[in-house]
Amino acid sequence: MEGRFPNRVLPYVLLLPSVAVVLVFLVVPSIEALRLSLFEVSPFTGRETFVGLGNFRELLGSDVYRHSLSVTLVFATAVVASGMSLALGLAVLASQPLRGLGIYRVAILWPYALSPAVAGTIWALLFDPSTGPVTVLIRALTGASPNWMMSGGYALSVTVVAAAWKMLGFNVVFFLAGLQAVPAEFREAAQVDGAGAARVFWRITFPILSPVTFFLFVMNSLYAFFEVFGLIDVMTQGGPGGATDLLIYRLYQDAFVSARWGIGSAQSILLFVMVGVLTLLQFRFAGRRVFYG
Amino acid sequence: MSHRRGTYPGIVVAFTMLLAAVAPVSAQPPVKITLWHAMGGARYDAITKDIAAGFNKANPNYVLEPLFTGSYAETVTKAIAAIRAGNPPHIVQVFEVGTQTMLDSGAIIPVTEMVKPGEIDFDDYIAPILNYYKVGGKLYSMPFNSSTAIIYYNKEVFQKAGLDPGKPPATFKDVEEMGRKIVASGAARAAITFGWPSWMLEQSHALANRLYADHDNGRNGRATKVRFNESFGVDVLSRWKRWADEKLLAYGGREYAPNKAFLAGEVAMLMQSTSQVTTIEKAAKFSVGTGFLPRIEGQPAGKSVIGGASFWVLKGKGRTPQEIDAVVKFFKFVAEPQETAKWHEETGYFPATKTAVALLTKQGWFAGHPNHETAFKQIQEGPDTPATRGVLLGNFVQIRNITDTAIEKALSGKLSPKAALDEGAAEANKLLDEYNRINK
Repeated sequence: MEGRFPNRVLPYVLLLPSVAVVLVFLVVPSIEALRLSLFEVSPFTGRETFVGLGNFRELLGSDVYRHSLSVTLVFATAVVASGMSLALGLAVLASQPLRGLGIYRVAILWPYALSPAVAGTIWALLFDPSTGPVTVLIRALTGASPNWMMSGGYALSVTVVAAAWKMLGFNVVFFLAGLQAVPAEFREAAQVDGAGAARVFWRITFPILSPVTFFLFVMNSLYAFFEVFGLIDVMTQGGPGGATDLLIYRLYQDAFVSARWGIGSAQSILLFVMVGVLTLLQFRFAGRRVFYG
Repeated sequence: MSHRRGTYPGIVVAFTMLLAAVAPVSAQPPVKITLWHAMGGARYDAITKDIAAGFNKANPNYVLEPLFTGSYAETVTKAIAAIRAGNPPHIVQVFEVGTQTMLDSGAIIPVTEMVKPGEIDFDDYIAPILNYYKVGGKLYSMPFNSSTAIIYYNKEVFQKAGLDPGKPPATFKDVEEMGRKIVASGAARAAITFGWPSWMLEQSHALANRLYADHDNGRNGRATKVRFNESFGVDVLSRWKRWADEKLLAYGGREYAPNKAFLAGEVAMLMQSTSQVTTIEKAAKFSVGTGFLPRIEGQPAGKSVIGGASFWVLKGKGRTPQEIDAVVKFFKFVAEPQETAKWHEETGYFPATKTAVALLTKQGWFAGHPNHETAFKQIQEGPDTPATRGVLLGNFVQIRNITDTAIEKALSGKLSPKAALDEGAAEANKLLDEYNRINK
């Protein structure tokens, strides 16, 4: 590739905007968060009192924070598992030669284009404890009247469904692209050898899909940890009784609602470390099984 | 995932300077003041079109720029950020929960210090409303949209259940007896629901003249401990829990979400803010009745507490006397009887002055809209004590969340009412400690 760029300065100039954006919006705030996590900050005067690791000690010793951590793990596992398996199923269906395939593909994709606020409102209306169509349906079928404003487990399930649904389009698109890359000869050869559809899928298609699956696994985990704030804020605000109090929502409450910037920064650092470790583990264990052809 | 403190105000400053640079130079530019508010929905038009535009029309020398800054909590957060960035608005609308925070901010100008004696007749204000915004005898903020909580009920459901549609429940016991009849008759699926659960717990305390926090509800020195986990608070929550167990209570969420169940005719009664009167009357397809907030029976007489928000004046670099004049003029405008009356008619918030009430009475407004008068009658009953003036707490926004969580844990049966309130109180007290330590 040498010699393609006659000007030695130009590449750096072209890089500059992206580097500047990363510096200003990512690196500098991260360093500031790391610094603030060691202080207790007065919201108005900005007076900072050094507390060392006090903020971290308080968080890790707090029942509320530990509860939030366990809720987040349950939530993330459920969102990633249900979202990805459903997406894979839909992608397999949508890759069949069907009449009106374009319509199906668009229908599957559009939730991803919705803002979290809109998606949250849709699901909140569907499951509204008094007037929601889903509630009315459940009541008609079973006589029970589930109220997700009161039942924590139910509320968590509804937010998982909403979050997984929101990510569905993204997942399906990548799976679809992956499926199209599976050479037809492989499947035909397997079929000639007498393998059934399930066997062809698990022995041929799925392994070839593994890079896509792994990529989506990482992306979905990041999504479940970091990007569900909007949904939670619109749907449950962490309730009822803290049942959907995810780490990212707790962080928002402490840092932005209560202006406890020190402890909020400490939470952002903890969250960052947790997701960093998770991603490393994923690369270490799941990454090995990925077959890049 | 970090806070870009200062970035946003910085952009605003840059943009404003750009605008200033290209604006035509006129001989006497009008004095500009900004107002940050949290009035969304139907109230957005009332504050921008009627109040702000009305003020600007009546005062050509001044320009008031209203800016919607999100929910109450978001507005406080944004104001804090703006204060730290040195570029705060002149006026910010802050809800009652933010009062202590504003008092400790060191960034405000108390209304008493701005308004010259006689310029605004504060004696004309209805005492319980004015008292909420007074601390240590000093008026800190300008009363604007004050509310309280009342009970709304569906008269048709009452009739179907064989109850007197002219008689709402006065006590918890009434709620239970009437509620059982309503549910048994099938007139509605559930008897009662309410918004703002932790505010309802505060209301129950005030209605029984009970303190919610120490140091006279934080009005005689900063509060250091909440008292909602004492036996009275546990009694209130245990009653709610019993309602939930008997399927009388259909809990519907924290703010205005429960209105839906009431408006759909699913639930017969709703305890909610009076700021919803106009909205509920418009949206209901049935005849709506209102009554005083039910109280726990056999308790000393108290009074319902004021909620809603008020206008706070913020200090800022380079504030000119003209700008302060403009703010005072605006407050005078807001206090005018016609404006106060119109604001009340459009929203249901209190007509805060006696003159405005007299005007509305003369126009026959209350005769035609009895539901708009209920809250007004309610706050005139009962004694004026520290317990009925409303509680002031540091970190109150988060303490409300903590209390909501405790109430929800009890209602869903995860914890007993006592255990839930103890857990909530311990956490709230920790926040109060921290607040008092940081804001010495």
